[in-house]
Amino acid sequence: MSGLNASLATALSGLTAEQGALQATTNNVANVNTPGYSREVPDLVSSDPIVVDPLTLGTGVTLKSIDSIRDPILESRIQQETQTQGQSSALASALSQTQVNFTSGTGDIGTAISNFFNSVNQLSTSPADLSLRQGVLTAAGNLASSFNVAANNLTAQRSSLDGSVEQAVGQINQLTTQIAQLNGQIANLQNVGQSAGTFVDQRTQLIDQLSALVDVSVIPTDNTLTLTTANGTPLVAGHQSFQLSTQLDPSGTQHIFAQGSDITSALVSGQLGGLLQARDQQLPALQTQLDTLAAGLATAVNTVQTGGYDLNGNPTGATDSKGNPQTPVTFFKFDAPPATGAAASLSVAITDPAKIAASSDGTVGSNGNAEAMYGLSNRALIQGQSPTDYYSGLVFNLGNDAASANAEQSASSLVLQQLNDQRSSISGVSLDQEAANMVQYQNAYAASAQVITAINDMMYAAINMTTLTG
Amino acid sequence: MRINPNPLPDLLAALGQTQQQINTDLQQISTGQSVNVPSDNPAAAAGLVQNAAQTSAADQFLRSIGSIQGEMQSADSTLNSVITALQRAITLGVEGANGTLSDSDRAAIANEVTGVRSQLINLANLSYQGNFVFAGTAIQTTPYVLDVTSPSGVRYAGNNLANTVTVGNHFSLQTNLPGSQLFTASGSDMFQALQDLLTNLQSGDSAGIGGAVAEVSNAYNYIDTARVFYGNAMNQLDSQQTYLNSETAQLAQQQNTLGGVDLPAAMTNLTTGQTSYQATLAAMGRVGQTNLFDYLK
Repeated sequence: MSGLNASLATALSGLTAEQGALQATTNNVANVNTPGYSREVPDLVSSDPIVVDPLTLGTGVTLKSIDSIRDPILESRIQQETQTQGQSSALASALSQTQVNFTSGTGDIGTAISNFFNSVNQLSTSPADLSLRQGVLTAAGNLASSFNVAANNLTAQRSSLDGSVEQAVGQINQLTTQIAQLNGQIANLQNVGQSAGTFVDQRTQLIDQLSALVDVSVIPTDNTLTLTTANGTPLVAGHQSFQLSTQLDPSGTQHIFAQGSDITSALVSGQLGGLLQARDQQLPALQTQLDTLAAGLATAVNTVQTGGYDLNGNPTGATDSKGNPQTPVTFFKFDAPPATGAAASLSVAITDPAKIAASSDGTVGSNGNAEAMYGLSNRALIQGQSPTDYYSGLVFNLGNDAASANAEQSASSLVLQQLNDQRSSISGVSLDQEAANMVQYQNAYAASAQVITAINDMMYAAINMTTLTG
Repeated sequence: MRINPNPLPDLLAALGQTQQQINTDLQQISTGQSVNVPSDNPAAAAGLVQNAAQTSAADQFLRSIGSIQGEMQSADSTLNSVITALQRAITLGVEGANGTLSDSDRAAIANEVTGVRSQLINLANLSYQGNFVFAGTAIQTTPYVLDVTSPSGVRYAGNNLANTVTVGNHFSLQTNLPGSQLFTASGSDMFQALQDLLTNLQSGDSAGIGGAVAEVSNAYNYIDTARVFYGNAMNQLDSQQTYLNSETAQLAQQQNTLGGVDLPAAMTNLTTGQTSYQATLAAMGRVGQTNLFDYLK
């Protein structure tokens, strides 16, 4: 078919297509600040030509689809990096809280150890002096309470991390439910050949949020996708989501279950991974070191204490002055290994300052045992190290762990920022570009409209021509 | 390549980083410390723990030395008086050995020797802050008491034990000398010598008096030599004090090197940070102010 009517139809296709293209621009401009939005571009193709022998005539333009511009490989890099970022920032924030307990100043364990040994050295200069003996008991009490405070803070921090774990699991479940719903909507649209750009954007946004919480692997399948954790536990399959649940273990910490099996130890990335790493590895390791230090120090002091004589000349060991068995007068009381919690349970067993065994021979003025007790300050009591060396090693390790978590967090922030830059350069809306497109579509629309006017004139001329002859 | 149309998130991140740097600088300047938490510098934090322990120990050694010095000075000056008293006893003995003296003269001298003995008992029973200094470690037992059943007329009730006190890393010092090693050492027992002098003065045996004077001289020489212990110990304490003071100064310097803040550097960092913060803010204010839409009429 050729002729004016055909030309009119062709011009009309131009009007429609430019209107549609303008719709994409309008949507882009409207969503310029929408997080996760990928810009849309109209896919204009020329309509199939018709052949009117000997001519092949074009039939105008079709707006085939409006496509969202995104790079799936980049999206998956962003999701991976978001996991690292979530993990390192959860760990860094946990460790920076922990560090405060081990920052030198008044009341830290290092100072308390020094003060205790100092008080013993002072007692050594005048072993019968009751006020100096009281000074030793006070310093020992402070030492015990500095251990107690540090250990209790670690426990409190673990239980607050436990709360965060539960919260994170709740958020994960909410996100997987939403993603499964979107999967259903996207599949429905794509099954009838429609573009589901907006839904895909929303889903990408939700997967990013999920990546910040847990290690997610994205497996695209026909028209939909499957999400699993790194160890293969399914979270979302198509339009179905699988909920995680938490359950208290006998020690009172939350474990994470997926379909009946405990996956706690398999979660290593995302915020949840970082929380679990702090809760189940870093803090318990620190607690063990504290217990080792407390138990090692207290045991050594007790050994010296029970090998001497108190102010009244009575032996403090397992036999009394007449050789009869007695309960040894120990200095510190604590839950000795293999029981845990030496640091939390450490306390001073003596209340009467006269009971401190400063004397090594039963004479009131002897300081032999006080000297032996002071000597412990430089002795390799704990895993081949003096108490101060062991404590400074503990501070070093904690500082190192916290510093690397901080460094990892900054590094992954930078990487993530660059990846987001890249995403934005591919998918972000540029107002300049949209303005240019708008002008372009507007001009094309105006031109098509002009063509219609011209055809109209021609039609008019043709109709009038008939009237004149008729 | 398409340019990222929205640089604001980058600028915001830069702003955050600059703000954090400024906070760090401010904290360092206000605390004077570059290591406020262990992660600021783990090795320095561990070093600071050691440094604090060493400083604290050095301060304690200085306090202990102070306590010991008091007692030692008191012991030393008491021994000075003992020496003077023994000199007086020797003078009296030499007087009493003079054969021309009458019985009543010798009795008067004997009387005076008895006085010297009481003075010496008093001196040997020196107590410092409620503890007997020359009783060995039996510091709450009066060491020398008159006892007629004892050949020397005086009985030692203390013991033969001495204390040592740690006043430095791997440095400890004996802090007392029991009376049994000073006044009543076997072979040079000053009370035995005085007793012999008294006995001979009372019996008027000139030769015996001469022998007793020799005994007292012997005791005098012995104590004069033995008391060097206190002089030596006090010298050692003095030099240990000097050493500890310089060690404390060194530790303070090390602490500053490890954890102190380099103020000029921190101030410069702060100024740089603030400038960069303001520049970033100014840049952000200009982002996206205009685009093509503004020029379409």
